[in-house]
Amino acid sequence: MLSFILILIAAAFFTGIIIRTKSIFSGRKGPGILQPVKDVIRLFRKGAVYSQTTSFVFQIAPSIYFASVFMAMLVVPFGQYKGLISFNGDFIFFAYILALGKFFSIISAMDTGSSFEGMGASREALYSMLAEPAFFILMGSLALLTGHLSFQEIFATLHIGSYITYALAILATFVILMIAMIENSRMPIDDPKTHLELTMIHEVMILDNSGFDLGLILTAGYLKFAVYGALIVNLFVGVIPYEYTIPMFFIIQFLVAVAIGTIESFMARFRMGHNAQFIFALTSVSLLIFFGALLILGKFI
Amino acid sequence: MIGFDLTINLSLGITLFAIIAMFFAPLKLKSNLAAFSIQINAALYSWLCFPALYGNVVEYSLNAGNFMGNIPLRIDALSAWFIIIISFTTLTGVIYGGGYLKAYQSTKPELNLHWILFILFQLSMIWVCMLQHGLAFLIAWEIMSLSSMMLVIFEHNNSKTIKAGINYMVQMHIGVVLLTVGFIWVYFQTGSFDFNALHTFFNGNSNIWLFLIFFLGFGFKAGFIPLHTWLPHAHPAAPSHVSGVMSGVIVKLGIYGIFRIITFLKTDFLLLGEIIVSVSVITGLYGILNAAVHRDFKRMLAYCTIENIGIIGIGIGIGMMGLGNNNPMLYYLGFGGALLHVLNHSLFKSLLFYSAGSVYQQTHTRNMERLGGLIKTMPKTAIIFLIGAIAIGGIPPFNGFVSEFIIYSGLLEGMKSCSLNQLSLLILTFAGLSVIGGISILAFTKAFGTIFLGTEREKLVHKPVEVSLRMLFPQYLIIAVMLTVSFFPQIYLKAISNILVYNDIHNFQHYGFNHSVSIISNISIYSFAFIIIIAIIWGIRLWVTKRKTLKYDATWGCGYVGVIPKAQYSGKSFSKPLSKILSFIIIEKKKYNEIKSGEIFPNERKYASNYHDFFEFFFIKTLSKRLIYSTNYFKFIQNGRIQSYVIYGVVFVVIIFIITALKII
Repeated sequence: MLSFILILIAAAFFTGIIIRTKSIFSGRKGPGILQPVKDVIRLFRKGAVYSQTTSFVFQIAPSIYFASVFMAMLVVPFGQYKGLISFNGDFIFFAYILALGKFFSIISAMDTGSSFEGMGASREALYSMLAEPAFFILMGSLALLTGHLSFQEIFATLHIGSYITYALAILATFVILMIAMIENSRMPIDDPKTHLELTMIHEVMILDNSGFDLGLILTAGYLKFAVYGALIVNLFVGVIPYEYTIPMFFIIQFLVAVAIGTIESFMARFRMGHNAQFIFALTSVSLLIFFGALLILGKFI
Repeated sequence: MIGFDLTINLSLGITLFAIIAMFFAPLKLKSNLAAFSIQINAALYSWLCFPALYGNVVEYSLNAGNFMGNIPLRIDALSAWFIIIISFTTLTGVIYGGGYLKAYQSTKPELNLHWILFILFQLSMIWVCMLQHGLAFLIAWEIMSLSSMMLVIFEHNNSKTIKAGINYMVQMHIGVVLLTVGFIWVYFQTGSFDFNALHTFFNGNSNIWLFLIFFLGFGFKAGFIPLHTWLPHAHPAAPSHVSGVMSGVIVKLGIYGIFRIITFLKTDFLLLGEIIVSVSVITGLYGILNAAVHRDFKRMLAYCTIENIGIIGIGIGIGMMGLGNNNPMLYYLGFGGALLHVLNHSLFKSLLFYSAGSVYQQTHTRNMERLGGLIKTMPKTAIIFLIGAIAIGGIPPFNGFVSEFIIYSGLLEGMKSCSLNQLSLLILTFAGLSVIGGISILAFTKAFGTIFLGTEREKLVHKPVEVSLRMLFPQYLIIAVMLTVSFFPQIYLKAISNILVYNDIHNFQHYGFNHSVSIISNISIYSFAFIIIIAIIWGIRLWVTKRKTLKYDATWGCGYVGVIPKAQYSGKSFSKPLSKILSFIIIEKKKYNEIKSGEIFPNERKYASNYHDFFEFFFIKTLSKRLIYSTNYFKFIQNGRIQSYVIYGVVFVVIIFIITALKII
C-alpha cells in the first residue's frame, strides 16, 4: 500500500521535473512542476474526436492500457514492504501485464488505418520486444543471487551479506533506467518533442486519441515513469526502516527525473536503424549482472 | 462403469455404422453423421478417461492372432489427458467443419471420403494414445498420418495442395522409419514389442541413442526444427477445421510419444534434458520469427505452432533436468507446464485456425495484405481472433499465461540448485522465452491489425459477412474452456499432478507443486481483479464522456487529405524492421527488374518479395536436390512398361527361391 501511494505522489511530479530540467538547460523558465497533471485534468474535461475508420478496439484500448500500468503499479514493492500484490514470480506478471497494455496500444494505433500510426506501432512492438530479455535476465540474476522469486523478497534481501551487490545495483539502475526510456519512448530511442511524424514512435501512435482517452494514455505514461523510478529506488533501499527510505524514495525519483531531463537535453535521438543495436546491448549489460551474481555466489571456481 | 472391452466394441460398431451410413446419407446430413460418430466416440473414451486421470488405470488385452499376440491397451493418466484433448478438439473441429464445408456440398464423393477420414482420424489418434504395443502403435500411427494426409489434400485440384500433401507424407514416413527402427531395436534386445520391454531395454542399455531415435521420430510429428518443414506447407493447404485439429492435436501426439518414452527412461536425464531445452529454445525463437514475417495468415499460424512446440519442449527439457538433478519442484513445474501448455495450445490454436478459416471462407484469400477492416463486417470472428491472439502471446488474463508462468517459475526454480553450465542454459532459456513472448506480440498485433483493423485494402468480389452460428458455436465453446483454464487452473493442475505422480520415477513428493498451484490460483484472482479494474476505468470513461461532445471524422492524415486504403501500413512493412535485423535467418527473395540507365519511359513493372524458410532452403532443398540427382541414374528401372515390371517380379521370386533353396537365409 505504501508503495502505491508513494508512486502516485511521485508520478504527479516526475514528468514535470523532467520538463523543468530540460527548460532550465535550454535557458528557459519553463512551466510549473504540476503542469503535466493540469494538462491531463484539462484533457479529462474535454470532448473527443474519433476517426471514422476506428472500431471499438480504439475506444477500449486506452482504458486497458491504463489498467495494465495501474495493475503493474500494484505489484511494485517498497523495500521490505510488499506491494498490494506479491507472490513468487510476480515480476513475470509485471512484465506480461504491461505487455497486454502494449498489445492494445499497438492495435489501437493500427485501428485508425493511418500509415504513420502503423509505423509507430511497428517500432513500438519491435523495441519493447528487444528490451524484454534485458529485464528478464536482470530479474533472473537477482533472483538467482538472493534465492527469492518475488519483487519484495528479492529487493529486501539483495544487500544482505555483501556490499558488492551495490555495484550490481548500479548496473541494474542503468538497465532499468534505459528500459524506462524505451517503454516511455524517451530520448535516445524516441524524441517526444519531434515535429515529424515519420520519426516518432509513441507520439505517432496516439495521434488520433483525444479527450479522455488521451488523458488516460498520458497519465499511464506518468505512472510508468514513477513505477520504473520506484524499481530503481528498490534496488538500493533494502531493509532500511521507512523513516529514511521515504525521503530516499523521493530523492532518488527526483534524481532519476533530472537524469532523464539531462539526457534529453544533451543527447540527440539515435538513428532508427541503430536503436535495435542499442537496445539489444542492454541485454549484454544484464548478462554482466548475471556474471556478477555468479561471481558473488562463487559459482566460478 | 462401462468396461473397457464394451467401450471399444461400442465405439468400433458405431464408427463402422457411421462409415457405411455415410454413403447413403443425404448431402446435408453427412457432416451431422460425422459429428454424431465423433461425439459418441469422444463421450465413450472420455468416460474411461476421467477416472483414469484420477488414478484408475483401465487395461485391456486385445487378442490379435498369432502374429501380433496379445496387444495390451491401457489408459493411464497420461493417455487420458491426451485423449480428452483429442476428443474435445476433434469435436469442435467436426462441428465447425460442417459449417465450413457448406460451400462444397456439390462435390459429393469428396465429402464422403472427407468425413469418413475424419472419423478414422479421430479414432486412430485415440488409439495411438491407448496402444502399448510397438507394432500396433505404429499401425495406428500410420493410419493417423495417412488419414490426415488425405484430409489435407481436400482441395486436390490445386497442385500446391497436392505438393504439400506429398511433402507431409514423405516427412511423416521418415519419422515412421525412425520409430520403427527404435521399436525393432528394442525387439532385438528384449524379444518383445510391448512397451514394458522399453523398461528392460533402458535398464540394460545406454539410454541416449534410443531416446534420440525416438525423439527424432516423434520430433517429425511435433515439428521441432529442423524437422518442422512440413508444417508451414500442410497447415495452409488443409481446410481450416483440419488444420485446426492437426495443429491442435496431431503435433501434440509427437509430444505424447516423447512423454511416453520419457516415462521409461532410467539414466542420462540431465544430458537429454539439456539437449531438449536447447533445441526447444531455438525452435521457439525460429518459429515465432517466421510467424512474424509471413503474410499468409494460415502459414503464420503454422509457424506459431512450431513456436509453441518449442515452449512445450522447454517444459519437457527442464522437467528432465529436474529428474537428473533430483529436484522435484523442477520436475513438477517443467512437465506440468508442458502438459498444461499442450492443452492450452490445442485450445487457442484451434480457435485461431477456425477464426482464420472463417476469414478465408468469406474472403477466399489467405494473404493478409489484401484484407483489412474486417472487424466491421465480421465483428464476432474478429473478437474471437483477438482473444486467441492475446491468449497465444501468453498474456494474462487468458490461459496461455498460466502455462507459460509455470514454465517460467520452473526455470527460476531450477536456477536455485544447479551447476554453472545448467545455470547459463537456464538464464538464456529464460531470456529466450521472454523474446518469444515479445515477438509473438509483434506477430499477432500484425496479423490482427492487418486483417481486421483499418479499412479494406482491396475490393473483394463477395462482400464478407459474419459466418454462421454453426461455425461460431465451437469457437465460443473453446473460449469457455479457455476461461476455465485461466480462472480455475487448480482443477487442471490437480489432474496434471496426478499424471506426474503416476509417471513419477523417483517417487517425488508433490507438496512443492501444491504451493505453486496455490500461487497460480492466486494469479487467476489477480487476473480477475485486473478485468474488474478495466471495467471500472471503462465505466468511469463512459460516465465522463456521456456528457461530452463526441465527433467522428476522418483519420488525422498529418495534413494530407488524399488518403487511399492502399496507403495503410501493410503487414509486411510492420514486420520489416524485425526481418531486416535478422536477415541472416529470415531469407527474403525479391523479384524485380531494375530500371536500366538508358530507359527513358519505364514500363509498368512488377515487384515480388517472398520469405523462405532457412532450414528448408539451405538443408532440405539441397539434400533433396542431391538425392534426386543420384536417383536419376536409376530412372530406367521405372520405365512405365508392364512387361519389365513383370520381369522384375519374376527375377525377385527366382532370387528368393534360390536363396532359400541354398539355405542362405
